[in-house]
Amino acid sequence: MPETAAVSIRNLSKSFDGTEVLRDVSLEVQPGEVVSILGSSGSGKSTLLRCINWLEQPDRGDIRIAGDRIGVSDTGKPMSRRELAGMRARLGMVFQGFNLWPHLSVLRNVTEAPIHVQGLSKAEADERAMALLEKVGMADKREQYPYTLSGGQKQRVAIARALAMQPKVMLFDEPTSALDPELVGEVLGVIKDLSKEGYTMVLVTHEMEFARAVSDQVVFLDKGIIIEKSHPSEFFENPKTDRVRRFLELEAPAV
Amino acid sequence: MSNWDILWSSYDVFLSGFYNTLKLFGLSAVLAFLMGSAMVFLLEGSRPRLKVPLRIFIDGMRMLPFLILAYLLYYGLPSAGIRMSAWTAGIIALVIYHGAYFAEILRGCRSTFAQGQVEAAIAQGFSQPKMFMRIILPQLILKTRGLLGNQLIILLKDTAFLVIITVRELTAAASSLSSTYFIPMEAFIVVIGFYWLISIGLELFIKMIGRFGAKRGFENA
Amino acid sequence: MDSSAWGLLIQGAWTTLWISGISIAIGVVMGLLIALLRVAKIPVLHQLLGVYISLARATPLVTLVLFIFLTAPTMGVNLNRNVAGIIALTLNTTAFNAEIWRSAFNNFSKEQREAALAIGMTPWVYFRRIMLPQITITSLPGLVNEMSFLIKGSPAIAVIGVVDLTRVTNRISAVTYDPLPPILAAAVLYMLIISLLVWLQRLAERKASRLAV
Repeated sequence: MPETAAVSIRNLSKSFDGTEVLRDVSLEVQPGEVVSILGSSGSGKSTLLRCINWLEQPDRGDIRIAGDRIGVSDTGKPMSRRELAGMRARLGMVFQGFNLWPHLSVLRNVTEAPIHVQGLSKAEADERAMALLEKVGMADKREQYPYTLSGGQKQRVAIARALAMQPKVMLFDEPTSALDPELVGEVLGVIKDLSKEGYTMVLVTHEMEFARAVSDQVVFLDKGIIIEKSHPSEFFENPKTDRVRRFLELEAPAV
Repeated sequence: MSNWDILWSSYDVFLSGFYNTLKLFGLSAVLAFLMGSAMVFLLEGSRPRLKVPLRIFIDGMRMLPFLILAYLLYYGLPSAGIRMSAWTAGIIALVIYHGAYFAEILRGCRSTFAQGQVEAAIAQGFSQPKMFMRIILPQLILKTRGLLGNQLIILLKDTAFLVIITVRELTAAASSLSSTYFIPMEAFIVVIGFYWLISIGLELFIKMIGRFGAKRGFENA
Repeated sequence: MDSSAWGLLIQGAWTTLWISGISIAIGVVMGLLIALLRVAKIPVLHQLLGVYISLARATPLVTLVLFIFLTAPTMGVNLNRNVAGIIALTLNTTAFNAEIWRSAFNNFSKEQREAALAIGMTPWVYFRRIMLPQITITSLPGLVNEMSFLIKGSPAIAVIGVVDLTRVTNRISAVTYDPLPPILAAAVLYMLIISLLVWLQRLAERKASRLAV
């Protein structure tokens, strides 16, 4: 019997104002696996990611995190805010726009949720946060405020903030799309390190080379449907559909 | 006879108070705006001579309560040999005080203008006053209309202070009626209603200017 | 002006300060509560509060003070002058503060809320730890500015006989027969108070601008 999937998505559908954004999507992410979701803009890939932690509520289908259903409690009723917060704490999310809290220093951004959600003491939270800031190379900036940081630095702090809750799964929503080209590398470097350490990650990205290098599984979404799901080597070298072939031609770095 | 009937029988008191308040407001609004614009005009150019005194005057007014200025003109100046009626003192106080505020609003906006516009106007041979009237001021009004509108409402409300220096305006009417017939509630509800009406009217007026401005791309006030 | 005149003047200034201070303290908190209720858009209540704010902003303080002080006895409540003054100033400043708070709420970024929910905060923890501290900082310049306006409007309470910094000048000149010096002295004291607030407002603005990331 296989171990419980870290994320299990079954028959997910979602529409906005009558337009179907996701249609009957199913996907399993095994513990330790890195899954990249690719697709052109408007394909529904960000929506899929945001459904996983219930920032968007799907119309149909269900999502389980390590076997536990998110959004809907055992009795079939919508989860209370508290239950939902508890489920979300098991998922770390990194946003395209960083979304740091500007009134808190780098260190306090990272310790805020451990202290006020998990109930850690300040000393414990500080210790955990410093280790993570060390890992993303931001320890020396711990007393600074977000407005003094570059985009790449902000995103590394945001990654440390998400890791501080010791999540089962990390979700990345186009983590480098808002960055200047010369800052993309430092953020991808951090994510790559995490993949080597065995974190379970779901990644929405436009960085093809990167997806190829870190993923165990690549998923291609088109108009809300998964049309290809395969190992990166096969996906990039031997795509099964014309749609993916066209996409790869357009996205291929112009060398 | 109900309290409202008593009030109705003395509607002329309200009307004359209302009329006086409108007159105070209209006259001083126009004069104060002219004064504010004139001060901003005097600040035009690269090194205006009056920069320092105007700055001191504007900031000084903005740190004073309106009533203390009215006190100064009405109660204080007679000891310096200058006497005027409560009405005159009231109007002058309103004009000086709000003129400074208008000047500050317009000046703040003027300082954000690109130099290019002025250069383009000078290149076309506009004189300084003409350029100010035709190029600068219309834009200032469109851009600051929200702030100007707020200031007009503050001016309207400041007219009520003049009851304290014995001007017979709207609040004075309510006050005298309520003490004559002892019906303060009704008298003041009517008067507050009047103030509300004028304020809403002013807001509508500002919105109208806004529509005029929106056509020309002056979206944000 | 002799020392007893200065003594009276300082007393007047103190009256202005404590009455305004109490109104400001209540007004800032009430303004926040009203803004919260308005943001929640509860039917009927939303409209009622909207009417209150519109009315309170249109009513001159002098008129409001007189209204409250003269009307209360007809409803069987005997209000002390100071209390009537505080109620009027509070009703006035609360309406302005509510709009300042509300605009800070409306301008607050949705993304920070998502970041907080995604990390497992309940909406209440998010409000208390993330939103409120920032809204307070961004509202502060506006709130301090409104405090200046309240102080500048506070002489309205003179109309019901509260001896504040403005009215005390009448009292002094009733003895000295020379109103000019006390009025000028009161003006200087007002300028001191307001310039302190203006200075605080600058500090607050500097702090707030750092949040605009």
